[in-house]
Amino acid sequence: MMEKPLLEIQNLHVEFKSGKEVVRPIRGIDLKVNRRETVGIVGESGCGKSVTSLTVMGLLPEKTGRIADGSILFDGTELTALPEKAYRKIRGNDISMIFQEPMTSLNPVFTIGEQLSEPLRQHRKMGKKEIRETIISTLKQVGLPRAEQIIDEYPHQLSGGMRQRVMISLALLCQPKLMIADEPTTALDVTIQAQILELLKAIRGSNDMSLMLITHDLGVVAEMCDRVIVMYAGEIVEEAGVEAIFDRPLHPYTQGLMQSLPSNNERKGKLFSIKGQVPKPSEIGKGCAFANRCPHAFDRCFAEAPPVFSEAGHQSKCWLLDPVSKEGSRDESSIPIRS
Amino acid sequence: MNPQFLLEVNHLKKYYEIPQGMFKEKIVVRAVDDISFSIKKGETFALVGESGCGKSTTGRTILRLTEPTDGEVRFDGEDIRSLSYEKMRLLRSRMQMVFQDPYASLNPKKTIREILMEPLRVHNKYEKKERMDKIRKILEIVGLSDHHLDRYPHEFSGGQRQRIGIARAVVLQPDFIIADEPVSALDVSVQSQVINLMLELQKEFGLTYLFISHDLSVIRHMTDRMAVMYLGKIIEVGNTDDVFENPKHPYTQALISAIPANHPRESKDRIVLEGDVPSPANPPSGCAFHPRCPAAMEICSRRVPEETDFGSGHTAKCHLYQMNEKREEKDEHAVIHS
Repeated sequence: MMEKPLLEIQNLHVEFKSGKEVVRPIRGIDLKVNRRETVGIVGESGCGKSVTSLTVMGLLPEKTGRIADGSILFDGTELTALPEKAYRKIRGNDISMIFQEPMTSLNPVFTIGEQLSEPLRQHRKMGKKEIRETIISTLKQVGLPRAEQIIDEYPHQLSGGMRQRVMISLALLCQPKLMIADEPTTALDVTIQAQILELLKAIRGSNDMSLMLITHDLGVVAEMCDRVIVMYAGEIVEEAGVEAIFDRPLHPYTQGLMQSLPSNNERKGKLFSIKGQVPKPSEIGKGCAFANRCPHAFDRCFAEAPPVFSEAGHQSKCWLLDPVSKEGSRDESSIPIRS
Repeated sequence: MNPQFLLEVNHLKKYYEIPQGMFKEKIVVRAVDDISFSIKKGETFALVGESGCGKSTTGRTILRLTEPTDGEVRFDGEDIRSLSYEKMRLLRSRMQMVFQDPYASLNPKKTIREILMEPLRVHNKYEKKERMDKIRKILEIVGLSDHHLDRYPHEFSGGQRQRIGIARAVVLQPDFIIADEPVSALDVSVQSQVINLMLELQKEFGLTYLFISHDLSVIRHMTDRMAVMYLGKIIEVGNTDDVFENPKHPYTQALISAIPANHPRESKDRIVLEGDVPSPANPPSGCAFHPRCPAAMEICSRRVPEETDFGSGHTAKCHLYQMNEKREEKDEHAVIHS
């Protein structure tokens, strides 16, 4: 029997009020994170990948944001209707998060030790000495040198890479079941990025933990993830195992993303590029959200939003995969489909 | 002066002083420390390095947006350090800059028409009537159109803003453009559009680029030659192909191996460097890279390495390649002593 997934999101819709308008950054997504699995969420800015993670953490802005529809099931608990008090028991304990900006997500007026003891005081019954020992051992686990001294230092005394390590140890302290990393390496230099990725790999191996990795960097996805979810304009357009998605991307958007990488193009040649730009939430019509930029778009794409077509665990939202409409498409040959 | 070089930089230095109080010695930050390179007409030259290595300062110093501490910058044969303020202003119509952050580099209170008109007005180029035509033409080239003219920057997306930033740089028809991380703030699909635009413009106007970036895959794609910087010094220069295929300096090797893989099945032998970039206010002795270098030797902490030439303009500064020469020297000495 299949093990139940750790996190299961079904038909999630999120709304933001902005002035008189209502913006819908997430329009009906379904996703699963299994135990001990690394899932990558890829997409461009504004596609809703960060809002997804904030929704799971229960961190949507209270006054303007709300979950309009759908359910989030975490380890058997329904999160959408959870009162704040109960949420606090989960947040930072069972689910923890690493943010993009290591520079701004640590409080500058508290020492590292003071900040790291907060989740332990909140969720664990531990004495002062025990807390300190746990923190030092976690700091050592993330590869920080001089852990005994760093615990009494302030964030400004540390470099960017070290701060990101402190953030990771903060997320690790309570040994969460799910760790959400929102662009953990974007603000870092290439050599430091390599260090942090190695660290995340090592941690995932030694702890019994699932990792949800949000990024726009396909290279990071290729190295880290088991399964990949591609988001575009608030929807999931493709989902597959990491090798399948790199070998045979099905959705034209994913194909475009892969082809536009400089390393997949001839040097000095013209780079492949997806025409146009991501639509504003107000511009999305009733058809497929990607239709106006899609090289293969035909009439049906503008008239009707495509459902999810699934084939051996590889899911994609595109009319081209529909056996019926495929006959009507002119560019059938450009999408290779395994027979 | 070699006529094929458009820009020559010799022993350029830019130091910043941080006062520590009245009787204490000032801390000197060597942001750019004695670098030399030259850029041929029509080529794209890349400066690569991590944050804080001085690559942006180099770009700004060449344009004299900050005054250099010492050294020489020759543009088309003219030493720009000796130019008066007025002459430098005139010269800037031939050298322009594209900035990193398309959100911060356009004045939010000006329309696109005003933003593009300003450089033409300042440099008094073309007749007034002609200017509008020129602007329309440039907008078309960068992929925008007439009806964008009276809009404000906030109405555009990041990619479009970067196009406007590029249009502003190109409208004067300069010879030389310094592009400081022009695509790092953009999404992947937009990034490729902007790179294409820059390559097209180069073909059309015969531009020379100084391309400052930390993104190695972009550099590999679009540049002819590259220089790798570490802590204010250039440690390796060469044709982009040569450097990527056969990196000499251990730092360059680590940088190139740190590029994430293209495919999940691609396995990489990664050199993971330990530690962080040290502060340029207090750089390590000898070769500044030695505390992080996997191949560090005893001599590295004592002496600054000299340049070694590997042919076809590929040079690197590392003791590893000087060992042979040194040993020969030593042998000679030994002979004399005996």
